[in-house]
Amino acid sequence: MATATMEPKPVKLTPGLLAWFGLVGVLLFIGIAAAVLVFWNGLVVTNMSDTVPWGLWITIDLSAIALGAGAFTLSAVVYIFGIKRFQPIVRLAVFVGFIGYTCALLTLVMDIGRPDRFWHPWVYWNIHSVLWEITWCITIYLAIMLLEFLPVIAEARFFDRWPWFRSTANTLHKAAPALAVLGLLISLLHQSSLGATYGIVKARPIWFKPSMPIMFILSAIAVGPALTMAVAFIMEWITGKRTVPHEILFTIARFSGIAILVYGYLKFWDTLSVLYYGGSAAVMEALTLLRESTPYNFTFWVVEILLGIIVPAIFFLAPRFNRRPLYLVLGAMLATMGIIVNRWNTTVSGLTVPMDYSPGTQYLSPVGTYFPNLPEWGVGLGIIGYALLMLTLGALFLPLFRTKEAHE
Amino acid sequence: MSEKKKKTKVTVDITRRDVLTLAGVAAGSAAAAVLLTSGPLSPFASLKQEQLSVEQEPGGHGATSLHHWGMVIDLNTCIGCEYCIRSCTAVNDVNTDKTWNIVVEEKTSGGQPFFFSRPCLHCQNAPCVEVCPVNATYHREDGLVVMDYDRCIGCRYCEVACPYDARKFNWEERTDVNPYIPTWGIAEVERRPRGVVEKCTFCIHRIDAGLKQGLMPGEDPEATPACVNVCPVNARTFGDLKDPNSQVSKLIANNPTVILREELGTKPSVLYIPPAEGL
Repeated sequence: MATATMEPKPVKLTPGLLAWFGLVGVLLFIGIAAAVLVFWNGLVVTNMSDTVPWGLWITIDLSAIALGAGAFTLSAVVYIFGIKRFQPIVRLAVFVGFIGYTCALLTLVMDIGRPDRFWHPWVYWNIHSVLWEITWCITIYLAIMLLEFLPVIAEARFFDRWPWFRSTANTLHKAAPALAVLGLLISLLHQSSLGATYGIVKARPIWFKPSMPIMFILSAIAVGPALTMAVAFIMEWITGKRTVPHEILFTIARFSGIAILVYGYLKFWDTLSVLYYGGSAAVMEALTLLRESTPYNFTFWVVEILLGIIVPAIFFLAPRFNRRPLYLVLGAMLATMGIIVNRWNTTVSGLTVPMDYSPGTQYLSPVGTYFPNLPEWGVGLGIIGYALLMLTLGALFLPLFRTKEAHE
Repeated sequence: MSEKKKKTKVTVDITRRDVLTLAGVAAGSAAAAVLLTSGPLSPFASLKQEQLSVEQEPGGHGATSLHHWGMVIDLNTCIGCEYCIRSCTAVNDVNTDKTWNIVVEEKTSGGQPFFFSRPCLHCQNAPCVEVCPVNATYHREDGLVVMDYDRCIGCRYCEVACPYDARKFNWEERTDVNPYIPTWGIAEVERRPRGVVEKCTFCIHRIDAGLKQGLMPGEDPEATPACVNVCPVNARTFGDLKDPNSQVSKLIANNPTVILREELGTKPSVLYIPPAEGL
């Protein structure tokens, strides 16, 4: 294990690093300005409406949580399935997962009408609500990730002065298998329920299908680890130091490729059954409308299927590409884009399609039109800035690539 | 390595202990299955009972109190004057851009025009109540679906889940002047704060105050929703679906009625009398 060599050293402020922090600072500033605007005036400053009450921010929530799935997947691989050779990437996976989940929570606080009541789901229970279950799962899982990650934080130089903190955190590391089991259960639950959030809404035929939870969890398991793999490669390119043994990253890419193929296969049959063989009138009408009034055809077939599933699967599995980091990172980025566009397509398309509840033949509730406006994009940029800042700070100050096993 | 070899070695010796363990597991799961599906602790059993009780009620309602408030809207009589919207908007101090009631011009499949209006349908199997993460919208014992504005977090899932588009969100702090006050009534309830969802309440404040005074909602105007009182052609009738002698029950008994999106099984408390020539 001599490859894990990224020792935390005193950080030198190079011009490159300064410029990078400048860019991140600009993103954060835009985000904070937009957030202040929203908190001050209310959600009226967004382009969301009563017809399309969910938009870009929900897309960010769903994507960030799905992309954080590398944490539970790789923890389970190491601590439950006992494949110890993946140990060197677990820290990074949990770190990326933690960033994803905190991104989601930050966006969610922006998105709810009463951020001052964010704690209500913990006090007032409606156990019949998937959203209630999701809130609880996300809270618990965030705590699990913090506990999983505490030993890494405790190893930072800063904690040289408090040895008791380090020893407590190290004791905690012994609980890693238990945390991994709990994390796996909780993640399977809420990653799927996020799909169920749409799948159970019988008012909207285009959403109402039992495949929703399965597509959500499967796409998360497929793409989450791939993103962690890409982050490892990119950190290596920037810092010039070996982060995680390449064999591990290649194996993750292959796993991701197979999982993406499975996801693609189910998606293929989901599409066939819903649109072709068993298409109900309501769903067919909805899709015709989406094709006519939105770029749904392009975003679904080209972005989701071709660029988000087929191309990454080729890059991850074809021997010609699957040992070349550039293609693996490219594949992971495309798959990530596929996930984000899929969550967008799910959320916004379902709301664009008008509901038909009048007994007559003429009236439909209005067709939804939605495209995010500047404050919404601003908050989105701020969230990206936050994620980049955390990744940079982690790379600079945390021993992300030094495992206990490697040292002992 | 030696451990791995042991694991891969195939053995087919079944001991008495294995048999007993397997038998125990089988018996245990059978017992658990019985308990879960039919026992008093079973989540499925209570669900089934709930559904059965809903279906056994004459009006198909699940209200547990003495009353179950409901409305009948006659699509033959409605003239599309929108007085219901105005009166409701004044009494409940609703934003004129986001009215609780809607009135739209419609056509039957035969091309006959008619007017269709819609309050909140106060479903007995209400999707909004099912999805709310904090129980901010819930069923009262009398079947009404109401909002707790102090509890709502503004996630808007109910708005997304409502099959009838009956819910509206307060996107901003309201400063608008209500043009229907005082011509169409005075505000009887507070404006809702920014960031919560609102919808038609069947004027619960009137129902509750009226019952305390011994009045009967649907018969005494003081205890009846504003939209019903103001309707110039009596297209809307309000009353107790549990009382077979109430006006609504009689209308339902003597007329064909239509339930909106009945296939969803939401069991609305608002029923429609279709146009005479059919829909």
